[in-house]
Amino acid sequence: MKIKLDKVISYFVLTIALLFSMFPIFWTISTSIKARVDTFTLPPKFFNFTPTWKNYQLLFQLDGFWKIYANTIMITLATTALCLLIGSLAAYCLARVEKFRGRSTLEILMIIVRALPGIVIILPLYNLSTYFGLYDRAWALILIYTGFNIPFAIWLMTNFFEQVPIEIEDAARVDGASNLQLFTRVLIPLVTPGLVATGVFVALLSWNEFLIPVIMAGENSKTMPILVSSFISNRTLDWGPMAAAATVALLPIIIFTLAIQKWLVVGLSGGAVKE
Amino acid sequence: MRIKKRIKKSSARPTTSFTAPTWILLSLTILLPLIYGIYLSFLNVNLASFAPTKFIGLANYKLALAAPETYSTLITTLQLMVIGLIVQIPLGIFLAIMLHQNLGGSKFFRSALIVPMLLTPVAVGLIFRFMFDTDIGIINWALSLIGSDGYNWLGSRTTALLAIVIVDSWQSIPFVMLLVVAALATIPTSIYEAALVDGANKFQVFFRITLPLIVPTLLVLTMIKIMDFLKLFDTLFILTRGGPGNDTTTLGLWTYKTGFIFLEMSRAAALGVVILIITMPVYLLWRKSAKSVR
Repeated sequence: MKIKLDKVISYFVLTIALLFSMFPIFWTISTSIKARVDTFTLPPKFFNFTPTWKNYQLLFQLDGFWKIYANTIMITLATTALCLLIGSLAAYCLARVEKFRGRSTLEILMIIVRALPGIVIILPLYNLSTYFGLYDRAWALILIYTGFNIPFAIWLMTNFFEQVPIEIEDAARVDGASNLQLFTRVLIPLVTPGLVATGVFVALLSWNEFLIPVIMAGENSKTMPILVSSFISNRTLDWGPMAAAATVALLPIIIFTLAIQKWLVVGLSGGAVKE
Repeated sequence: MRIKKRIKKSSARPTTSFTAPTWILLSLTILLPLIYGIYLSFLNVNLASFAPTKFIGLANYKLALAAPETYSTLITTLQLMVIGLIVQIPLGIFLAIMLHQNLGGSKFFRSALIVPMLLTPVAVGLIFRFMFDTDIGIINWALSLIGSDGYNWLGSRTTALLAIVIVDSWQSIPFVMLLVVAALATIPTSIYEAALVDGANKFQVFFRITLPLIVPTLLVLTMIKIMDFLKLFDTLFILTRGGPGNDTTTLGLWTYKTGFIFLEMSRAAALGVVILIITMPVYLLWRKSAKSVR
């Protein structure tokens, strides 16, 4: 009987938590399909309204919306590809070589990226970029995004490389495989699931990135978070299109978060906690 | 014997050259700006002035250390950090324990509860700004149901700080929960059984057995949360932009304002160096605590 009571309490608590975590998402989506009148009424309308696509139409007609959306996807994909390409090499080295020259410097640099407020790095970077004419260039953004996200990628992938039994490598070496052959032909296929997880992870972080583009992107290379945030500054209080923009930014993430939840622990703790 | 030796030699592990691309990338995007930032902090660069750039020694540091904002924003950063940790860690542990009981459907709960974690902070800030709205916000409406007049949430320091912590907690509690669930899973059930046989009650089990065993994870978690509060920018920027006045401005946001609103680049760079020095212990502690879990 006592055990049953425990269960009831747990379910109760978890359900309350679920309501709290889901409500803002529900509220965004519902606001995004409400007419303006329905947004501004109290008591709020939860279900008793006629859905409309007007907010989305307004959003999609915004000047440059599709360009911004495409640009964000492009930057996200390029950053992900670079992080996987460059990061997997470094992760393999970190996983297999206990001590090498520069290892601790590399690790400290990676921790700095994780711990230091980004503004400390981006402010001088902005000065340098304007000097070299790199401001508002998508490819420069991609490099910076990659620099800021690669520590995550490396931490995560190091874990996957560590899990590959070393005997497999030894066998391939006996067969005369070179370092690079071994890496591309033997190891990469073995850690592919891990690479996919890392890729999705980096893609999410790049998609969400705000501080870098808010400083380094002008009209040419604007991204979705900048567009979403611009609704705040022009004071029109048009919550409908704002909610539509938020929904468009959030929906892909909800799907991907569920897809990679197995690896969230390792990734978000910088590899410090394993599951 | 000779063959064995050759195998051993050939199984030399990947060479350091594998890390070369990462080195180049981090040198360009992290190290170079850091060093340039230190250099910049000794100059007089102001984007709004045409005065010739010159070396002015420690003047920016003197100004930064004399300005009351440097201290008030540091205090705000620490206040957010402390309130945030007090709210998020216990609630996260609590939810993790609820999840850990092998209930039917706990997988479903786990998946659903972690959704807020990776959502775009800018969008999240926007949604909550709508919900915190004084006149049409659903939070004040809900408060009115229980007879409260509601608050102008983002209009005064205390409530605005509270709002920022609430929004951050909405995204962070699931993270704490997830890490604690992972830590709980490593504790063998036989320990609990033994304790129950010895007649321990639930609170004793939690405080004497569970808690001590998850301390390393909690340390890592605290470190990560400290780093996140130092970095806090997106939601803060959207929710209050550091306002009213500078009441909710953190040290990081103050650096941003100094550089990109007042256009005092060199002074902002000096603040950046101050932040770098303040956060130094975090790097060292992080390496230590991360190792303790491994």
